[in-house]
Amino acid sequence: MSTSPQPPAYDIYDDRTESGWRIDGYPRTFTRTPDSPRVARALTLTELTGPFGLHRRLRVDTADLSRVRPDGQRAQGQLIVVRGRVCDEDGAPIAGALVEMWQANASGRYAHEYDEKSLAPLDPNFIASGRFVADAEGRFSFTTVKPGAYPVPDSGHWWRPPHIHFSVFGPSWMARLVTQMFFPSDPLNPADRILASIPDPAARDRAVARSVPTTEGRDDALVFEHDFVLRGHRRTPEL
Amino acid sequence: MSTRVPTANFTIGPFFPTHFVDTGCNDLTRVGERAARGPHVLLAGRVLEQAGAATANTIVEIWQPDANGLFAHPLDPRGKDADPNFLGWGRAATDRDGWYRFRTIMPGRRVYNDGRARLPHINLMLIASGLMRRLTTTILFADDPNAADDPVLDGIADATARRRLFARREPALDDGDAKAYRFDVILRGADETPFFAD
Ligand SMILES: [Fe+2]
Repeated sequence: MSTSPQPPAYDIYDDRTESGWRIDGYPRTFTRTPDSPRVARALTLTELTGPFGLHRRLRVDTADLSRVRPDGQRAQGQLIVVRGRVCDEDGAPIAGALVEMWQANASGRYAHEYDEKSLAPLDPNFIASGRFVADAEGRFSFTTVKPGAYPVPDSGHWWRPPHIHFSVFGPSWMARLVTQMFFPSDPLNPADRILASIPDPAARDRAVARSVPTTEGRDDALVFEHDFVLRGHRRTPEL
Repeated sequence: MSTRVPTANFTIGPFFPTHFVDTGCNDLTRVGERAARGPHVLLAGRVLEQAGAATANTIVEIWQPDANGLFAHPLDPRGKDADPNFLGWGRAATDRDGWYRFRTIMPGRRVYNDGRARLPHINLMLIASGLMRRLTTTILFADDPNAADDPVLDGIADATARRRLFARREPALDDGDAKAYRFDVILRGADETPFFAD
């Protein structure tokens, strides 16, 4: 007897635990956010499935962003390791999840043509982005430097705290996640309009990585831990 | 019963790496050495914001069934018959005039287990600076949108809004045997594209 597994259940996004749509000092959040309410629909197989074997299309990169070559000079800044787990709402690991990340360098500069107005210097020894595949337990780990803060132009003295951008592919179109990870105890965190736009304080805290005590970490880098919880949970059994 | 709350979404910001939209990402007809099955189509359109302004560097991702309407995914009971040379996923970035472009396979029609057919369709999502959460919609293909039936249309009462989910034939953009279809995404304004709550 062969039947396909039961698809997970996906709840509509909870506005209390998600970031707000419109952010003061960020004009594009006003000019790009739709006016009309988003339409509810019943999900069919097409939304419950998603690409398998994405590594066939998206090349997986080095897990050490802090130097361009294995024997090369290290990038400027504080060497860190970011590690964590990709799981679903039941805590079950998402084996093989594809994780993309990108960040500013230690000076707060992106290696991107749109950041050319920045006064902060580029760093030729820094890679600035990466792509990894989570292992069978959903775990990932990479070495980088701690990103610097940077000012948001024409925003009235708003600075983005150090953060790393992530794009995560899970087992379905519904589980796709695009997020940012923040660093613990940064004085810029409470004033960050993007982080502060999450209404629920506990959800805000979960966007911040955990600092692993140095006694449990490594000798050569500070270690931060951060999990990604993708949407999707087992269905409640019918009574 | 779920025990963990999903991680919050945030905007990609202005600096999504250019090389993440790798050359070839927007061509779904070839993922390995062999070409996918089925007729090629071109899918192109503009992503526009308030007042019809072009959005440069909007990231457009698509997900679709193969030429027979199958998904190479464990949840598809017929997934083992799906085309092994078709990944079904692609990514493009809009240019300075707001244009994105894909070459792909015409998705097949499919009747699901509940007995209701989905029209040939391509799932589309947008991530962009200023969008705090991804936006999802569906591109439908039908000769006569007014007579077409698809479950995603159920929640959209307005006939004009329903028609915005249909790709339009654009013969001027045809490339050899590949028929071209146009699908513009209006983020905001009177002609706003319907987006889904999921
Ligand atoms: Fe950023």
